[in-house]
Amino acid sequence: MSQDPKPPARNAEKVLSEEFFIARSKILDLAATLDRLERADGSLEALHQLKLLEQGMEILLDDQSDKAKRVQLLMSRPYDPDWRKNYGLH
Amino acid sequence: MDYIDPHIHMVSRTTDDYETLARMGCVAMSEPAFWAGFDRGSVESFRDYFRQLTEFEPKRAAQFGIKHYTWLCINAKEAENVSLSREVIAMIPEFLEASNVLGIGEIGLNKNTKNESTIFLEHVDLAARFNQQILIHTPHLEDKYQGTKMILDMLVSDARIERSRVLVDHVEEHTIQEVLDRGFWAGMTLYPITKCTPARAADMIERFGTERLMANSAGDWGPSKPTAIPDLIMELKRRGHSRDLIRKIVYENPCEFFSQSKNFKAPIAAP
Repeated sequence: MSQDPKPPARNAEKVLSEEFFIARSKILDLAATLDRLERADGSLEALHQLKLLEQGMEILLDDQSDKAKRVQLLMSRPYDPDWRKNYGLH
Repeated sequence: MDYIDPHIHMVSRTTDDYETLARMGCVAMSEPAFWAGFDRGSVESFRDYFRQLTEFEPKRAAQFGIKHYTWLCINAKEAENVSLSREVIAMIPEFLEASNVLGIGEIGLNKNTKNESTIFLEHVDLAARFNQQILIHTPHLEDKYQGTKMILDMLVSDARIERSRVLVDHVEEHTIQEVLDRGFWAGMTLYPITKCTPARAADMIERFGTERLMANSAGDWGPSKPTAIPDLIMELKRRGHSRDLIRKIVYENPCEFFSQSKNFKAPIAAP
């Protein structure tokens, strides 16, 4: 088997120029989804899913890294290390 | 580029798909047993399914020069029926000598329940008793993080299990590191909406390296794309990755992992 090959270093400006239109399209999709929700009947204030989306958008705008992992964890049920004891499984 | 799809459900796909996959470079595939879209009613349904996986699909694949391997189990969705699950687990050894069987899979959790966990542990025991490799299904969406950690807890608590002989599939950004750090193999599933895109898989390769990491399409009867691995190859090429790196992910790593099963023979692939 070959050695673990190293990925090439990528220039930030080039990555941004390659990804810009894809990211732009995704932001527009999200914006249109929020517009659609606003036009729909009923109140959204108490909806858990909407709060998750809002918290996810806050992660996108903060200055910390690991955004994909943090959004995943936001959308995940918590892990209980005592689960096995609670299920009576030994 | 020739490649191996380590996780695809060809019983749900057409013969035309086999032809397309062959044209795109697929030289081998492994098909874990999974849910049929409805709960089966008896152990005989599973016996017929396992015959399909061990007798019919290898012939259908061979028409296009693709080597077909498989994994056997009752999936996590049907594990809520504990008595049926135990009947199926007791029947599986009838098929373990079939020439295309690589091990037990895809076992795992779905909603992370007590019954699913009970049947998971019984599958792990079966694999240990028959010295079989294991292919793991991790849950979807909000259940993935919790379920993956529960699965890892159960695997590491059984001293008979060699971590290098276990592939944990459907890893994403929040689960990949722990799977690799604990010594298991990890599979990224390229699946629209509910799992991972080729771009995010390429990101994980860049962050975590290529050791013990693979990619699969998990093509099945739902919204999925059996040609997703060529999409990942294209994404990695676009980013300037070397042919060696891409080949390691899509061909060498599956060969290295599957070679731990006595039934696997590496297909002859173009360099």
